[in-house]
Amino acid sequence: MPLKLKTKDKHIKKLAEIVNGPKSILYLKEDLLAYDCDGFTIHRHMPKAVVFPKNTEEVAAIVKYCASHNLPFLARGAGTGLSGGAIPINEEVIISLVRMKRLVHVDLENRRAVVEPGFVNLKLTNSISEKGYYYAPDPSSQYCCTIGGNVAENAGGAHCLKYGVTTNHILGLEVVLPNGEIIEISSDGIPDAPGYDLLGLLTGSEGTLGIVTKITVRILKNPEAKQTVLAYFDKVSDGSYAVSDIISAGIVPAALEMMDKIAIEGVEAASFPVGHPKDIAALLLIEVDGIEAGIDEQIKEILEVCKKRNVREVKVAQNEQERARWWANRKTGFGAMGAISPDYLVQDGVIPRSKLPEVLERINQVSEEVGLRIANIFHAGDGNLHPLVLFDSRKPGETEKALKAGTACLKACADVGGSITGEHGVGIEKMEEMRFVFNEEEIQAQTAIREVFNPKNLLNAGKIFPSPGRCVEIKKEMKATSVKSEEKLLEFS
Amino acid sequence: MVLKENDVKNEPACTTTSLSNYLWSDAPDENKWADCVHCGMCLEACPTYELTGQEQHSPRGRVHLIQSVAEGKLEVNEQFMDPVNQCLDCRACTTACPADVDVGGLIEEARGQIRQAMPLKGWKGMVSKLFLEELFPYPNRMNSFGGLLKFYQKSGVQNLVRKTRLINIMPSHLVEMEAVMPEIKVPVRKLFKNEEVIKAKGTEKGTVSFLTGCIMDVMFSDINESTINVLTHNGHNVSIPKKQTCCGALHVHAGDRETGRKLAKQNIEAFKDADKVIVNAAGCGCMLKDYPELFREDAEWKEKAEVFAAKVEDVSKYVHDNGYEKPKSEIKTRLTYHDACHLAHGQGIREEPRKILLDIPGVEMVHMPNSDRCCGSAGIYNITNPEMAGAVLERKMENVPDDVDMISMGNPGCMLQMAIGVEKYGRSQQVVHTIQLLDWAYKKDAEKEKSNKGGEK
Ligand SMILES: Cc1cc2nc3c(=O)[nH]c(=O)nc-3n(C[C@H](O)[C@H](O)[C@H](O)COP(=O)(O)OP(=O)(O)OC[C@H]3O[C@@H](n4cnc5c(N)ncnc54)[C@H](O)[C@@H]3O)c2cc1C
Ligand code: SF4
Ligand code: SF4
Repeated sequence: MPLKLKTKDKHIKKLAEIVNGPKSILYLKEDLLAYDCDGFTIHRHMPKAVVFPKNTEEVAAIVKYCASHNLPFLARGAGTGLSGGAIPINEEVIISLVRMKRLVHVDLENRRAVVEPGFVNLKLTNSISEKGYYYAPDPSSQYCCTIGGNVAENAGGAHCLKYGVTTNHILGLEVVLPNGEIIEISSDGIPDAPGYDLLGLLTGSEGTLGIVTKITVRILKNPEAKQTVLAYFDKVSDGSYAVSDIISAGIVPAALEMMDKIAIEGVEAASFPVGHPKDIAALLLIEVDGIEAGIDEQIKEILEVCKKRNVREVKVAQNEQERARWWANRKTGFGAMGAISPDYLVQDGVIPRSKLPEVLERINQVSEEVGLRIANIFHAGDGNLHPLVLFDSRKPGETEKALKAGTACLKACADVGGSITGEHGVGIEKMEEMRFVFNEEEIQAQTAIREVFNPKNLLNAGKIFPSPGRCVEIKKEMKATSVKSEEKLLEFS
Repeated sequence: MVLKENDVKNEPACTTTSLSNYLWSDAPDENKWADCVHCGMCLEACPTYELTGQEQHSPRGRVHLIQSVAEGKLEVNEQFMDPVNQCLDCRACTTACPADVDVGGLIEEARGQIRQAMPLKGWKGMVSKLFLEELFPYPNRMNSFGGLLKFYQKSGVQNLVRKTRLINIMPSHLVEMEAVMPEIKVPVRKLFKNEEVIKAKGTEKGTVSFLTGCIMDVMFSDINESTINVLTHNGHNVSIPKKQTCCGALHVHAGDRETGRKLAKQNIEAFKDADKVIVNAAGCGCMLKDYPELFREDAEWKEKAEVFAAKVEDVSKYVHDNGYEKPKSEIKTRLTYHDACHLAHGQGIREEPRKILLDIPGVEMVHMPNSDRCCGSAGIYNITNPEMAGAVLERKMENVPDDVDMISMGNPGCMLQMAIGVEKYGRSQQVVHTIQLLDWAYKKDAEKEKSNKGGEK
């Protein structure tokens, strides 16, 4: 039966048939506009359509159709990505996986669970916590980001210091390849299967090698005990040294997070304030967990380290509510910037822990040079920095300044032997910065891998790797972005 | 007259062109969307996003679209209207949002523009016009409407309609509502017509003024009676200012901000001398506290509205904070508590009603998962958007524990919607207002005392 649609476009009609109905496809300007960016808002593009498949077969059929008609396409989860991975820069057909959100199976005995890609990260822990289990990777966006998106970005989180990032928790994947073929990788979930580590390759490939349609993850038993410490410092360097000291003391905290003064101003002005003193330079949020026996010892040691590093005040959470309050304050930190700035650009550099004071100082300089405030909220334990450049896109020139500041922060990380992304991915945002860490040959070797999976380059093209010469173009385009995207939209309307 | 420097603009007015496609005054406020950083932390809180998975039906998407109209990228048309009107106004996003973005406020402002650009059409328009313009603002008409309903229930016409299957030709959601319509009693405004102040029992703590609400007083006058009883029982005199009117929430939700302002002014005047304005309907309370928003462009009334808003308090919070007698008699019941959106998300009141309930001997509270998830009532949303409202209600009912006798809450709109849910899904729970239960316990105390005294004689 032909569907009633407000369009004559034959591709859209066909896609609507595949997903079986007008409620599973969006194609009008007013609806599509809501999909012109993800959590990275500097760059905006309109998709051709958004489709909402219900199962793997529908995903495969959509992909087959797109591939055979040369329509660019990409996958989208919750759209919380911070590097623009889900932005349709080639007017893609967006395949939204949010309606594939079932928890398919929980196997407590073998400590694993099978989920569909649109299943929200935190829901997994919530579904199994009563039975004493949890899912370890906990990006701050876990309230709403999808596990499919986590796999694509190899997401990390506060507790990944001890337990590892997403890739350490993926046991099997079902993937629709860019030609529409459905494959299963390590479907029995047996770790370290013979042959190449395809799971490792797919995880963190930012949606450029295939569309993940089912995921087998590892789940963990809740730790027997848990203690959380909050420490306030008058000097950033004291806080940084305390981080190094804790790790050198042989303690592996479950989480070791840091916020600086501007970040604290933001979270305190926002919806989940804790009452941190306004005049401190930095705070550390430290959590240790494990078997009951060793915990008190570790806490004692941590308190001592903090004191040695001139801590102003340090306290241990007295109950679960207090602990939850501290974490809500930390985990909503990015969004909280909205309370003190209309826009932010978050960067995601990684550095050796020992370089922390040096790099934070450099970021401070960058802030002064470009004249924009930069807040720092980050996973200090594994040296994963998140400088948040605060700006107002309505003021002419500020977006460009913010981009410049972002790049300078990443350069600072690369210069001390670090990397340009810890967990948010490269996307379109950091393509050019890839050259800080890879030379042309290394980049080509990696695009060659992509071509094996994605030979027509219809799936999420133009992301991660700068093509020779093209990167400059894109960067230029990005600089003109705010103006450009408006023009484009006007053209559209 | 001396011109001050900033009275003289540097350029003639006609050169300042605006891209905005909002053509009327009181347009969505730029400062509200400037707070949004597009982080998506609000997505999972939103019932309409949960059901559709579509970004334009999420808080983030709605803010983005509302902003896009101001930037001239979209026009105010039907396609834009859909996501804006499908919003339940449940404010769950406000709780979830780290940046405190006032999504609800933006939605209401956008609806104001939509209503002026596209006056309502079709039967939705008719229903909304009948209720909003012809009925709610007029207490007398409300009373006669109540009278009509009462006649309908008492006269046997109700039975007739049901028996003759006339009911089958009514739209299904109206049928559902008809089935659970509470029995109409005498409104308290009639009942206490001749009393300036209803006197407190025992030691007096002062006088509060009571907003009876329009539907509340007609359909749920017993809850209003309970409210007065609980207040007087705990030492508060209660006055019911005569000039008060409908709070205007339904009008504002439907984009009729003009009527909203008219009603607001009348209430602000009516409660001019009040120290405290007590409300027992969360939706009304939220609206009253939001009055200043209606007068963003009118400094004089804005100030009055702020003074007024600061006096507004929900009855559960007021009773809780000012000390109340714990009843001694048992009400033996297993109940669960539903957080009305406009109480939990709108006013941050979650603990107080629960504490009151738990202070009643015999009450056993069973946790309701996602207790602060919208039930789909949302004013007249269940009349104007029956499909989405039905789906939201279904989710809600899935969360109501099977083995409870009662569902307690603090909002009449929710009570009606939950009653529909109970009926529709063949459940057995009684739907009660928190304050009602406390009143029942006090009544039991009083009876006991009476019979004790009788025994002594
Ligand atoms: C406030 C905030 C805090 C954050 N904190 C963290 C943090 O602590 N740690 C962290 O690692 N990240 C963090 N992020 C970034 C982001 O949440 C993660 O990258 C997350 O994994 C993205 O998931 P998503 O469902 O939103 O994916 P999307 O943004 O929709 O997509 C991200 C990328 O994955 C691809 N993709 C999505 N689903 C699939 C699929 N099923 N198959 C193949 N490709 C797919 C898309 O094409 C895109 O390239 C944060 C973001 C925000 C806004
Ligand atoms: S008020 Fe409720 S329905 Fe509307 S956007 Fe917010 S969460 Fe969604
Ligand atoms: S409304 Fe709040 S939570 Fe939602 S995207 Fe905007 S800032 Fe984030």
